[in-house]
Amino acid sequence: MSPNGRVSLVTGGASGLGEAIVNRLASDGDHVIVADVDEPGARLVVDNLIAAGLWADMVTVDVTSEGEVAAMIDGLMERHGRLDALVCSAAIETRSSVVDCADDDWQRVLDVNLKGPFLCCKHGIPAIVRTGGGSVVLLGSVLGAIGSPGYAAYCASKGALVNLAKQAAIEHAPDQVRVNVVSPSATDTGLFARVAARSDDPERMMQMVAGNTPMQRLGTAAEVAATVAFLCSDGAAFISGTVIPLDGGMAARRIV
Amino acid sequence: MGAGQLAGRVALITGSASGQGRSAAQLFADQGAAIVVVDVDDDGAHETVACIDKAGGRAFALHADVSTRHDCDAMVAAAVDTYGRLDVLYNNAAIQMSGRLIETTEEMWDVTIATNLSAIFWACRAAIPHMLAGDGGSIVNTSSTLGQQGSEGYAAYGAAKAGLIALTRQIAVEYGPKVRANVIAPGSIDTPRFRKVTERMDDAESFLGMLQRTIPMRRLGLADDVARLALFLASDASAYTSGAVIPCDGGLAAFR
Repeated sequence: MSPNGRVSLVTGGASGLGEAIVNRLASDGDHVIVADVDEPGARLVVDNLIAAGLWADMVTVDVTSEGEVAAMIDGLMERHGRLDALVCSAAIETRSSVVDCADDDWQRVLDVNLKGPFLCCKHGIPAIVRTGGGSVVLLGSVLGAIGSPGYAAYCASKGALVNLAKQAAIEHAPDQVRVNVVSPSATDTGLFARVAARSDDPERMMQMVAGNTPMQRLGTAAEVAATVAFLCSDGAAFISGTVIPLDGGMAARRIV
Repeated sequence: MGAGQLAGRVALITGSASGQGRSAAQLFADQGAAIVVVDVDDDGAHETVACIDKAGGRAFALHADVSTRHDCDAMVAAAVDTYGRLDVLYNNAAIQMSGRLIETTEEMWDVTIATNLSAIFWACRAAIPHMLAGDGGSIVNTSSTLGQQGSEGYAAYGAAKAGLIALTRQIAVEYGPKVRANVIAPGSIDTPRFRKVTERMDDAESFLGMLQRTIPMRRLGLADDVARLALFLASDASAYTSGAVIPCDGGLAAFR
């Protein structure tokens, strides 16, 4: 058993914010299950944790498949007998406006970013209930609260995720399952970093976005992981159905 | 320098003679901060300081009526004179007078707005220059579920609690690079003051039962639930969160 006896599952845990969350929860003493479609990536994350004397294993999963999600939860309950925290961080994005967004792109973004967390909650929450309660954290985005030109499907998926979380929070509060959303803006390691890397001048793009936030900098993956760790802890025992933004004050300002 | 999430920092907490404020003062001191315990209740404030002393922390009590600009200026000056800096301002003090709009007297309106809204403006205006001159700071302001939703009989209280949310966003935007400012929105919290209100009721038991049924988590909050969220917002664990409103309400705001 891991140092604190807790078992956490992180989807999209092989890279970006998910990887930072995996590393944080593992260093806090959880046994962390890294779930991802990227099998070599997940294996590398797990190997590094085990080499550091921490507790982790992996599962390959496509979160858009109900069969695979159900099997993942069944498998981890068989092996560990408990699930204390479920963190849904697997997400994709496509760049297109409402009128340009192709059907396939729309469906793919909604499937991964919204149906994925729905399926993980549907099968993961009963496992958490059997454990006696716990925490679900869904990775939202500042674009779930404000719009941004060219992110039609992504904004829609992240906006819907907020109310999915509130619904799950209300339905399972009596079971001691808390459900919250962490909503980062651009971080130095998340999807935005990959978008910036594809641009003509990544450095300039990152500086421009940082300059637009009241805190005048980008967020970091470690900061996102710290908030997820707080929501998974007893420090957040009475907090459910909420959205915690990590946006350097961006959503508080009208002109971004 | 000691250990803890607030090691080496100075925190001023208004309304810390009892309830949520006292819990926060004890928790912040336990995490390494030196505390300025501010209240109009001198006996309670000294008791809070005695609790912190006994646990090996640093604190002093200060009498201040935050509904006056003079006392807000004086409390911030005393914090800086005594400890040489101010890193955390936790505006927790508030009064609760109930009355529908046309039953709200001019005096009730003035006192409620002065204590629950203007006090926060005065305290922040006094504190922010010290934070800007130092290593920056974190401001935590206390709203309420009633700051974002209406409830019969809280005309002045609701207006003040909503006003401070806008004020907090303003601070986040204006002083973003160095000063973070966030809002806690507690729901029903079981504090001595809350008990005093229910003790005066004829049917306290049925009122408490009804209240608990409206809270998705089926319990009242504890002073410590709010204190732990305040610690998260005061500390570097929330380093990229600013201008946010975080409910601590057992899922209540997600439900109504």
